[in-house]
Amino acid sequence: MKIGSKIGYETKRKWYGFTFILPWLIGCILFFISPLFQSFRYAFQSLEATPTGFAATEVGLENFQSLLFKDTTFLPSLVGSLGDLIQVPLILVYSLFFAILIKGKFPGRTFMRAVAFMPVIIGSGVLMQILKEDVFASGARGGSADTYLFAAGNIPALLNAMGMGSGVINFVNTVISRVFDLTWRSGVQIMLFLAGLHGIPDYLYEASSLEGAGGFAQFFKVTLPMLTPMILLNTIYSVIDMMNDYGNAIIRSINNTMFSLFKFGYASAMSILYFIVIIVILGLVALLLRRFIIYQE
Amino acid sequence: MTANVKTRSKHRMDMKTRRRKIGHVIGRILFYVLCACLAYQLLYPVLYMFSMALRNPSDINDPSIVWIPKNFTLDNFADALKSMNYWKAFSVSITLSIVCGFFDVFSCAMAGYGFARFKFPGKNILFLIVVFTIVVPSQTLILPLYSRWRYASFAGLVKLLTGQESMNLIGTLWPMIIPSALAMGVRSGLYIFIYRQFFKGLPVALEDAAYIDGAGPYRTFFSIMLPNVKNAIITVFLFSFVWNWGEYYLTKQFLGSENRSIMTALSMLRMDLSQVSALAGVQLGTNPEKIVTRMQAGCLLTAAPMLIVFIFTQRFLADSIEHIGIK
Repeated sequence: MKIGSKIGYETKRKWYGFTFILPWLIGCILFFISPLFQSFRYAFQSLEATPTGFAATEVGLENFQSLLFKDTTFLPSLVGSLGDLIQVPLILVYSLFFAILIKGKFPGRTFMRAVAFMPVIIGSGVLMQILKEDVFASGARGGSADTYLFAAGNIPALLNAMGMGSGVINFVNTVISRVFDLTWRSGVQIMLFLAGLHGIPDYLYEASSLEGAGGFAQFFKVTLPMLTPMILLNTIYSVIDMMNDYGNAIIRSINNTMFSLFKFGYASAMSILYFIVIIVILGLVALLLRRFIIYQE
Repeated sequence: MTANVKTRSKHRMDMKTRRRKIGHVIGRILFYVLCACLAYQLLYPVLYMFSMALRNPSDINDPSIVWIPKNFTLDNFADALKSMNYWKAFSVSITLSIVCGFFDVFSCAMAGYGFARFKFPGKNILFLIVVFTIVVPSQTLILPLYSRWRYASFAGLVKLLTGQESMNLIGTLWPMIIPSALAMGVRSGLYIFIYRQFFKGLPVALEDAAYIDGAGPYRTFFSIMLPNVKNAIITVFLFSFVWNWGEYYLTKQFLGSENRSIMTALSMLRMDLSQVSALAGVQLGTNPEKIVTRMQAGCLLTAAPMLIVFIFTQRFLADSIEHIGIK
């Protein structure tokens, strides 16, 4: 009798747990799973908008075929989008550096933290795009695109005077013009690293400094290993953030196909293909990084 | 002799501490210089917005003006307000942000609590789906969702109530609000994750005490657990508020041109400004100086509510960051 009531309680708790996630589950089925399958079906159809909904004709694999073999813009812009992922390691290094800088207690900490989180708050798609176009576009400031922040320093001229080749100068120019992109994409990452840094217990630092470890040894043997879960999370977040960005070439071309050319089935095929690419990349990232992850006991 | 050695070693100690002190001061100076550089490059666009929005268009090509304009003007704001139809867009977006923020706080808390504290079959797979909801680009889902809202039938409920086959919810705020009430709004997966981390960090004894006192799971959740994750609530509300405010893609498709959201208005501002818009009564032609100053005024007007909310909540945000951790 007693055992029976205990099992009853356990089962009850299961059902209670289920009721807590029930609203989410309904929302997920209505607004995620079923649209995803629907979109998958659209990718094999040719759609036309009619007053009562979409009129669909089955076309099989035609959308995918013309996307991969006939479309001259899709694959190049896909490669371009993937090329942008080179920025991810830079974002990680920058945000880790920033997080370590503002972790401790110092006068002005509140201000620095507020500044560090500001990109999260106002760095939304449209605003970013306009800022990129205006702040860095030539004209307004009388300068060229790459001299906005370092206008006074005039780094390209300096490099030229030092006898550097045009390749180096172009590289530096690209890097400088991407500083904005880089730093304004790093808000959430800085937050997550900060959270990770605060999660490292103090006794590890105390023990290591008793053993004679200096700052560098502590960083590489305590901080970095303990942050590996955050590094994985941040890598994944950065990839998602860049791939789903408003200014991303593929996203723009999907939007264009959908709402200017009204090729709905074709656009669905594009977005499904793109989604698969994202999943594959995330899977690769997770597989590559998994070996290095150290979980705190 | 011993005295000599002693003074010498004392002298050496002095040198050492002095050197360490100097090193410390230099380190501090370097630290603040670094902070200043980082803060400058992050604040640059905001300062630029202010500087551009407040200056007379004729000041733009003046090389002697770097930050502080010679001729201050508020005309830029007046024009931006008019051609964005700012107050209409503002009221749409602020309603959306507040209502969705409110719903997200509760619906995601429930889901997060369910995932953090209960065991039920399929839990891990379901949580994986939570993560997936963040990964999938909204472009993949937009067509089915659009037709869902355009011909909303709610499993026959609409027919039962109105007698019509379906109703058109495009152009209303419901396509944004209903998903957020069901924990599937803009980036809701992330909020579920945040809540889950917080609830996992609370001691189990807290709930056990409540159960022993005779409270059911819901009572425990609302009167014991939720008040204990205040920082998570504020963080989620802040995120939900700013991300709903900044949402462009979904609001553009779902709200239509009747209820333009603030981001839709901002994205169309450049076009609106350079065209003859009889409605707004602002005509700038193709004068690039005027357009740039008006654009920055528009940007500032759009960013201002978010900055204000941020200033009031960033204290809680910084505090809650220290508690998220990975568990």
